[in-house]
Amino acid sequence: MKVLLIIPAFNEANNILNVYNSITSFNEKSDVKFDVIVINDGSTDNTEQILNENAIPHVSLINNLGIGGAVQTGYKYAKIHNYDYAVQFDGDGQHDVNYVLKILEPAFRNEADMIIGSRFIDKKSSSFKSSFARRVGIKMISFFIKIVTGTKVYDTTSGFRAVNRELIDLFANEYPSEYPEPVSTTKVLINKFKVYEVAVSMNERKAGVSSIRAWKNFYYMFNVIISILITGMEGRRR
Amino acid sequence: MNNHLIFYSLLFIFFIFIFIFYLIKRGKINIRYSVIWFLLFGLLFIFLIIPGFLSIITKLLGFSIASNMIFSILIAVLVIINIYFTSVISLQDKKIRSLVQEVSLLKKESNDYEK
Repeated sequence: MKVLLIIPAFNEANNILNVYNSITSFNEKSDVKFDVIVINDGSTDNTEQILNENAIPHVSLINNLGIGGAVQTGYKYAKIHNYDYAVQFDGDGQHDVNYVLKILEPAFRNEADMIIGSRFIDKKSSSFKSSFARRVGIKMISFFIKIVTGTKVYDTTSGFRAVNRELIDLFANEYPSEYPEPVSTTKVLINKFKVYEVAVSMNERKAGVSSIRAWKNFYYMFNVIISILITGMEGRRR
Repeated sequence: MNNHLIFYSLLFIFFIFIFIFYLIKRGKINIRYSVIWFLLFGLLFIFLIIPGFLSIITKLLGFSIASNMIFSILIAVLVIINIYFTSVISLQDKKIRSLVQEVSLLKKESNDYEK
């Protein structure tokens, strides 16, 4: 059984080595080993140098593609190398490698095709504090996904997700370039795949900037909601 | 429409044609995408040079003056062309994205092979 951790990285020189070391030390203790592929999305700092010096497996995009294009490259890599499961894992230290197996479990048991590591499903376990505007935003996105797909997803913007082989194939072929998490979740649900949410706790960003900078921005919400509605109208593909 | 306006319009169309030909010659515009402009301004040219043609169509379509009709039609056509180009850009965006991904993946494979 092969598991790949896809780590998109844009200017993560301060975090990426710590993230990689946490995974290798996890692998030393664990029976299930995780392969890693870092997708360097045209970083302008010395991320590339750190990746090379420490022999961290990585693909360097020749142009900056943004988070959607970077993550999709990881899915393409997973497809080429025949991985059974792929896990999206942030390069900024927000995600804890000790939760990866917990997220994968429903997939191992064939109960779900996609599992989202959720910050909101169990309030006690999560120390993640986000701003009021952000929580309202995530709730609104959640509301629209419920309307379009009939399924309630709590943590719609979580980038901590595991998928099985079927969805690796789907994402390798087609993955939204903008607002990838909520839009791809909608697409997956509409195509009648099973989505689970598993409670995880996330750390605050250690350094760097979130890819979602426009949280207070009405424009972002408007775009995500329109994207979800359009994805809903596109209907099923299979 | 008065003769002054027709004269300036014809002059404008003339310069547009020269500009597009220039761009084609320099390889800065695909013939495929230039056709749309030739068509648009060719039609406008025909409208303008046939005497009385403009006023007939203006009356037929219920506009009060010819320039209003020309503005309305031009705006409508330009909006359609813009939407078309938006779709062209989106398609190219998709192609560039997959190109960048495939090249980057290949580069990794060849680097690994050399090692």
